[in-house]
Amino acid sequence: MNFLKIEDEMKYFQRMFVLRKEIENFLYKEGYMNIEPSIFEEYDEFTSVNSRIDRSSTVKILESNSDILILSPDITTGIINKFMPRWDYDLILKIFYYGKTYKHNGTGIKENREMGVEIIGDKSPNIDQDTLMTAERIISRYSENYLFEIGNSKFLKGIMMACSFNKEDYDNILNLLYLKNKQELSDYLSGLKYREPMSTLLNILDLEGTYEEINGKLEGLYLNDMMKTSLEELKIIDEHMKNITDKIIYDLSMVSELSYYDGIIFRGYIQGSNTEIIKGGRYDSFTEQFGIKIPAIGFTVELDELLKAVYKEG
Amino acid sequence: MMGLTIAIPKGRLGNKAIEILKGAGVGSAIDEDSRKLVFNSENQSIEFILLKNSDVITYVENGIADIGISGKDMIMESSGDFYELYKMNIGRCKMSVAGFKDKKAFKDDTILKVATKYPETARRFFNSRGQKIKIIKLNGSIELAPILGLSDVIVDIVETGNTLKANGLEVFEDMYDISAVIISNKISYKFKRKEIKEIIELIRREDSNGQVN
Repeated sequence: MNFLKIEDEMKYFQRMFVLRKEIENFLYKEGYMNIEPSIFEEYDEFTSVNSRIDRSSTVKILESNSDILILSPDITTGIINKFMPRWDYDLILKIFYYGKTYKHNGTGIKENREMGVEIIGDKSPNIDQDTLMTAERIISRYSENYLFEIGNSKFLKGIMMACSFNKEDYDNILNLLYLKNKQELSDYLSGLKYREPMSTLLNILDLEGTYEEINGKLEGLYLNDMMKTSLEELKIIDEHMKNITDKIIYDLSMVSELSYYDGIIFRGYIQGSNTEIIKGGRYDSFTEQFGIKIPAIGFTVELDELLKAVYKEG
Repeated sequence: MMGLTIAIPKGRLGNKAIEILKGAGVGSAIDEDSRKLVFNSENQSIEFILLKNSDVITYVENGIADIGISGKDMIMESSGDFYELYKMNIGRCKMSVAGFKDKKAFKDDTILKVATKYPETARRFFNSRGQKIKIIKLNGSIELAPILGLSDVIVDIVETGNTLKANGLEVFEDMYDISAVIISNKISYKFKRKEIKEIIELIRREDSNGQVN
């Protein structure tokens, strides 16, 4: 943030302070515990745990013993990295944190303030809905014109596995889905050896809207167990969120930039803001690389964006 | 219904796009002969903004326009984050590698000098071929570069090939098919999905009716 006048800068920081405290108080009352995330991470360790992270965008620091550290580009990875090696099987952690992430964005280092929530180790069945509702209660506090987009990464994973593409095709197809480019996807698929699930893959871009709308389009599509499970999970969420259905859209082609999501993924938007305010999802398989699969779900609130959206509206 | 803002490029592609929008029954508010750059539909539900073609992406990406019409060449060159919802039948051409007729080989051990308006796209293409290149970024009259010895080959948009021929050049290889694409801001798409899909459907019908060339 750059300000010409000190007054404006002060105003901004006071508003940020209040916003942050409001959310922190809310989460604390909801029974979440606060932790302070680390700013530094070990480069090798971090990139080996989170292979999808864009290595060139990380901000590196050379230690005096010539180890390479980075300024944390993703706080969840750091937390999991820190806790998993010492994890007790029955532990349940409900935590929140305020932290900053750092990335090179081409022109310089981008510093990002975020508030994060993680629920690790809780096996009870309502956690997906509870987490979503927590996120919803935060965003709805600041705007009426908000929207949640919910998907389930297992749906796409299920169909991609059934197609068994090679790495290059897999990446290209994922990218076309990410761009919602149906025509090029169709061209691309027609150049590959035909496999039955591929026709459904082409239709996946139409599987968006309300749960009923999507449900109506499923007939005749290829569905394996993993895909059915993902739909079942979304159905349960939809039933729990009946009072705000007009604020929810489902999108089964949702592709996440973060590789570790495994199950429900969601993003929260406020109209008039050009970025996601909230993003999160389930990441059980991420914990699995440490030996045991622990249920884990979380989300982050982009504080700078939320602040901008709040003051743009009011 | 929520209002939509549509970014349209000025110039040849834009004129064709406006023709289609009018045919689809949504663009009657646009007056091409006027020097105005913003037009509102009668019921105020659609706002059209006329922009330089290379700026359409910028306006869409930043959410000033909800959707826009941009050439695929511009899209490939940008690293922007937006949806590519519909490939139109207008603005069809190819992006190609071209050079002097007799100097045919462009894959050899030396570093190839490539003049182009599309440095990113050219770099990606030759990278995938394993051809080492040096990019010379130009803004126009690309055909001149090999003639005056600035480059070995050019990467450019080829419609008829007449300009190339007139300058003694020929296409060595077609790289990509190019056409106009309707792009959408990602967040706008979440809030206005119905409106956006509706308008694309209207455009699609008109576009596939008369304009296949």
